[in-house]
Amino acid sequence: MQVVSKGMRATQLYLPNNPVYQRAVDNIRSAFRQIWQATDDLVFDIGETEMRWEDHPVYTQDQRNESIAWTLYKDGVRSLSFKPGVEEVEIVRFLAVLQQAKNLQADAPDDLLTLLWAEDFQFITYTFRELASENAVPIERSDKTAASFAGGGGTPGADAGTTDPRTVRRQVEEEAPPKREGLVSIDDFDTTLYFLDDKEIEYLHKEIEREYAQDLRGNVLAMLFDLLELQTYGTVRAELISILENFIPYLLGAGDFRSVAFILRECKVILQRARELIPEHRQILEGLPTRLSQPDALAQLLQSLDEATSHPTEDDLSELFGELRAEALGTLMGWLPKLNNERVKSLVQSSAERLAQSHATEVLKALASEDTNVQLEMVRLAGRLKLPGAPDGMGPLLERGERELKLAVVEALTTIGSPSATRLLEKAIDDPERDVRIAAVKFLGQRGHRNAFPRVEAAVTGNKLKDADLTEKMAFFEAYGALAGEGGIGTLEKLLVAKGGLLARKEDPETRACAAMALGKIRTPAAREILQKVTQDKEPLVRNAVSRALRETGGTPS
Amino acid sequence: MTAPGGKRPSMMETVQTTDGFLRHAGRDFLVVLYTAFRSLKFYPIENTQVQKALDDLAATTKQLLDVERELEIRLQGEFIFVNSTRLRLDLDNYASFSHILNVLRQCAIGAVRVDEGVDRKQLQVFASLLLAYAAKEANPNKLFELSQKLSDGGVTHISVEPPLEAEEDVEEEERQKEAAKRTYARSVAVTKEVINSIRMGRTANVKKVKRAVQAIVDQVLNNESSLVGLTTLRDYDEYTFTHSVNVCIFSVALGRKLGLTKLQLYDLGMAALFHDVGKSRVPLEVLNKEGGLTEEEWRIMQAHPWLGVLTLFGLRGYGEIPYRGMVVAYEHHMKVDLTGYPKSIRNRIMSIYSKVIAVADGFDAATSRRVYQTVPIQPDQVLKEMWENPRRGYDPVVVKAFINLIGIYPVGTCVILDTYEVALVHSANPDVAHVHRPVVRLVTTPDGALLTPGNVVDLSEKDANGNYPRTIVKVTDPVKYGINVSDYFV
Repeated sequence: MQVVSKGMRATQLYLPNNPVYQRAVDNIRSAFRQIWQATDDLVFDIGETEMRWEDHPVYTQDQRNESIAWTLYKDGVRSLSFKPGVEEVEIVRFLAVLQQAKNLQADAPDDLLTLLWAEDFQFITYTFRELASENAVPIERSDKTAASFAGGGGTPGADAGTTDPRTVRRQVEEEAPPKREGLVSIDDFDTTLYFLDDKEIEYLHKEIEREYAQDLRGNVLAMLFDLLELQTYGTVRAELISILENFIPYLLGAGDFRSVAFILRECKVILQRARELIPEHRQILEGLPTRLSQPDALAQLLQSLDEATSHPTEDDLSELFGELRAEALGTLMGWLPKLNNERVKSLVQSSAERLAQSHATEVLKALASEDTNVQLEMVRLAGRLKLPGAPDGMGPLLERGERELKLAVVEALTTIGSPSATRLLEKAIDDPERDVRIAAVKFLGQRGHRNAFPRVEAAVTGNKLKDADLTEKMAFFEAYGALAGEGGIGTLEKLLVAKGGLLARKEDPETRACAAMALGKIRTPAAREILQKVTQDKEPLVRNAVSRALRETGGTPS
Repeated sequence: MTAPGGKRPSMMETVQTTDGFLRHAGRDFLVVLYTAFRSLKFYPIENTQVQKALDDLAATTKQLLDVERELEIRLQGEFIFVNSTRLRLDLDNYASFSHILNVLRQCAIGAVRVDEGVDRKQLQVFASLLLAYAAKEANPNKLFELSQKLSDGGVTHISVEPPLEAEEDVEEEERQKEAAKRTYARSVAVTKEVINSIRMGRTANVKKVKRAVQAIVDQVLNNESSLVGLTTLRDYDEYTFTHSVNVCIFSVALGRKLGLTKLQLYDLGMAALFHDVGKSRVPLEVLNKEGGLTEEEWRIMQAHPWLGVLTLFGLRGYGEIPYRGMVVAYEHHMKVDLTGYPKSIRNRIMSIYSKVIAVADGFDAATSRRVYQTVPIQPDQVLKEMWENPRRGYDPVVVKAFINLIGIYPVGTCVILDTYEVALVHSANPDVAHVHRPVVRLVTTPDGALLTPGNVVDLSEKDANGNYPRTIVKVTDPVKYGINVSDYFV
């Protein structure tokens, strides 16, 4: 018992894969095997603090919370018997049950006895005292016949003659049909009717299988919604709605997302179909999906989903996310970068896309969020979905945002490409961030957005690009070429080809190369002619640029 | 038995392997024995079907003996043990088992021993003799005569033994009966406590209910007839409580017949005990009203299935929601086509547990005296109606299985025999082929004298001429004869 006691402690403290636990179980097994050399079974009498074997105490523990004896005794077990074989599997389950019983609250729906019963042990038996059943009325015979039964036997009892036998006989004769010798009762042969045939047996097998394969929660929920739909009593509906409200967190906790989705979907059905639904109930039912879409509730859901060890099916989740309300958008966006589970991430993304496409206001709200993560994800999503209304919320982000956010905004705006998007991009040409400026000017140049020309021209002809690197210069010059067209040839020629005498200022090679590339964007014979003039320029950078520009204009360097 | 490689298996490995092997091989053996009985009964020995059945019997016996060396088939109560392993009844074999149980009983056999020297010829003689002796009238020397015949027929490796000491059986039966009474009384008390707690808005002790249902399952698995007999108690306590317990007993017993596992029986029993829990929310003045109910009152009564669902939601926190109980509470008044009440809108497939409990509920309700049904209907009439009237909406296969369980004349039915004796049905005949010939307790002599308690006789037993000495000719009302049925079961 000491070894078993140690095993119990190991069960309490360690997981089954822990070596200490495994050693404790091995010790129990070998202890039992030794015992079976000497006896065929092991029967203990259980006391409050001790266990006795053949009247000898073999286990004593006064501290109740530590005592196996007390755990058994308090729930009524009075003797416990182990048989050979118990050590193989059942002893481990037995210890687990003891541990479970020890931790049960007083008002729990189980106790040690109900748990032991459910285990259906083959090598462990026990006797127990029943729970107090003071209300149980003993079952006894009626006063009239009790005395005659006491006489017993198959002969007429001493007091049985309260009814006159002659009266009984007469009554029987009157009731019973006359005896007809030789008549065969059809019943004697019609017995097959009462056998279950193979098909019937198979039917019952399948029914039992189905019973245990069914979605019981879904079944119960369907009942609740049937009742909600059909029962017009306000109090009944209030109770049903309260059950549903309390059910949702429980279902979420249990990871039963399909049932939650079912509740949300059926709420909509009820709102359409139920008669005489009072405004208060209507409001609560309408509010259920909204409540689930609110930041705190949704954050819980996303967290549990991301951390779950077993994941719900795609369909279950899609159904649930399909029921989320517009308010959920911001929270979904904020959680996107935090999610580790790719499947959940992709679902959140699709759900967010659905909401964003149909709720422009929520998109703007998300863009105005104080959480940069939300803003960033929303900007990206808006870009991917080319949401036409999104640029309205992006202006402030361009003015105040961080570099990464601004870049995302510019990228989104270039994808959206709507008039309002290009208007914002024009402003971005003057943005303090180099990459933002480059992205904006490149896009505007490619799109031939004439409104941007004054800003681009100012940059090309002014000092703005003085300290810029080659990439930025190139972006601006190319945009200039694309936007200015024929009208820009003069300016570019001046920059590319040095004129005049000795004192005439010659532009640096980078600027000249950029001017060449810009001419390449103009793609006219005049532009090509200028480029042809400088194909043999002594600056390699210029020569290369000219060569590329000529290729772009369709000409070949001579 | 040595494992390959010379390593001997541990004692426990041997025990477990043997146990599992015996369960399967023992079941196979009984099934082939049953087939042999049937073939021999209907066809001449030369018939190919008989020959095949005997081949199968010989092969299965050899397979068992190769491992076990010796085979003991022992009858104990309603069970068959093969080399001390109790064979489990299930849907695929219960008819065969019942038949064999019956044949062995009719031959007054308690155990059959077969050892390694047995051959096909000996098995053929054994099966034929058993069939012949089963048809003979009971006499104290039957077993001795059979034993002699076996010896004369050269059957040297099969022997038959009488049942265990009869006195022990009686004691065991009494002990089981007392245990059944305790279980019944406790279950009614617990049900009463729980329903009253719910009615008064107090927390119900689910633990006690669980233990009550577990005890019912144990009792049904160990000795079904003791507990089923107690369902005849009519005025033991308020109808609602005894009815719930009766429905639980019938359902678990029927579930056992359908081959449910112990834990499934527990699920079924819990659902059955709570099937009417919604009545705890029906006002007592409606529940106990004598005479007809008004339309409104009837509507309230009809709400009890779904009130049951709401009640079960409130029974405890959401730690363990009794979904299955809810489904049964909700569906137990629905018909198989989903009509009945409550009305169903959303897709639903009726649970097999609801179907089982609906049959048990319908049977017990109709055969009981209730406030609005002062004269109960005779059990056989109730079964007849359930079986023959499809508008009642019961699942016909479940009704059929229920009839298999309790017989055409259910336990407690008062019958008049063609001998002018009055008898009470004691238990269904273990052989379903004799579903109309139950085991009865004679309660009057042919002259009309009341017997207390009276002898128990099996109506399927024949006399020396092959005729049935007693046959039921009519079902009657025990009250007419001053018989209190439950007195004979407690």
